[in-house]
Amino acid sequence: MQKRVTQPPVNPALRPTERHDFWTGFAIILIGLVLVVCGARHLTSIETVEGGTAWETQLVKAFSAGGLQFPEQLRPPPPPKSNDPAALEQWAKQNSQYSAPTWKVRVDAGASAPCPT
Amino acid sequence: MDNPEQKSKEPAAGLPSTAGACSACGGEGRQAEGKALGRKLHRSRPWVQTGFLGLWLAPAGQWLHGIPGCVFHCYSCPLSAFACPVGVLANYAALLPVAPEMPCLLVGVLLVVAAASGSLACGWACPFGFLQDLLGKLTREKLTLPAWTGHIRYAVLLGLVILLPLLLGAKGIRFDDQSVSICRLCPAGALEAGLPYSVRSLVTGHGWMMSWFKSGLLVAFVAAALLVHRPWCRLFCPLGGLLALFNRLSLFHLRFDPKECVECNLCRSRCPMGVKVDQKVNVANCTRCLECATCGAIQPRLARPKG
Repeated sequence: MQKRVTQPPVNPALRPTERHDFWTGFAIILIGLVLVVCGARHLTSIETVEGGTAWETQLVKAFSAGGLQFPEQLRPPPPPKSNDPAALEQWAKQNSQYSAPTWKVRVDAGASAPCPT
Repeated sequence: MDNPEQKSKEPAAGLPSTAGACSACGGEGRQAEGKALGRKLHRSRPWVQTGFLGLWLAPAGQWLHGIPGCVFHCYSCPLSAFACPVGVLANYAALLPVAPEMPCLLVGVLLVVAAASGSLACGWACPFGFLQDLLGKLTREKLTLPAWTGHIRYAVLLGLVILLPLLLGAKGIRFDDQSVSICRLCPAGALEAGLPYSVRSLVTGHGWMMSWFKSGLLVAFVAAALLVHRPWCRLFCPLGGLLALFNRLSLFHLRFDPKECVECNLCRSRCPMGVKVDQKVNVANCTRCLECATCGAIQPRLARPKG
């Protein structure tokens, strides 16, 4: 229980009643509802790993599940530091197929990292 | 400690009572009705908060991670249902230099909730707020903070949630790799995600998973919640700050009825957020817990079209 605060010299009769206008709030709610409906049906410009473009819901889910992929994550590892020709050959073989991706970011809808940060 | 409810009809010393005027027009009956509603709201709030906890913590609802929620609740929590709106906004900001996208769902959900009820979700639905309420019950005396500290929330919103991820994103650092971000500093993340995962990791013999910095942050938050009522909501919560901006125009609002006021100042005395309820009630510092409605002069109302 809070302690009683001393009554300041206010006159209740002079105080505004703080009635709210209906239409302002109603108009904002309508705008919000339109955005929700558009968002639920919104295809983003971001590709998915499976192909095609990601829905906005998939993008939001990717934020929380570590589902965003960036090109640098798929970049091949640097060549081995040792001068072992077999290791170098294996590295070259592994990365011969690699070509820099054309996308900047894409969504992995199946990702489920427990905490992306 | 005195009980404000027992004195609620006593006028303050040196000020004329308006109770007589009210009784002449049936005001006493209305005031009793208003007070009964206020007390009912006071009693039901913890149960409503518990009910909402069931919604936000629904483990079967993880498929809803694609929809941003309207309360402050970490999406990395093993039981979280919806996506954290603050985390989603920060992610959008970090992604902006790479792939600009309009967060229609996030803005839509927040606009609907904010315009319908302002910060009512903070007081009645937010799981993190509920947790702070429970922690606050462990101690009786609380420190009071000046009202201007509420503006820190907007600095957090602009700085940590929008500008910093945007700038670091422009430098090519993706949000998950940003060493300073709202998610790395968030006590809700430490409590709802860091703690369960760390305990599980400890039990399975893999040691404490959470960083010492974040563990310290969690301890500091719990200590603060014992000393100050809802410290996160009052000082730092960017979502609460955003929702509270709509308190001045939301359909659900608090109305002051001068006929019911007996100048007992119970409304201001009961406000745990330190709002000067005796001057104005639909303000940005308010979490709409409706404790002030106990006196009967402050009444929860829904705006209706005229005529």
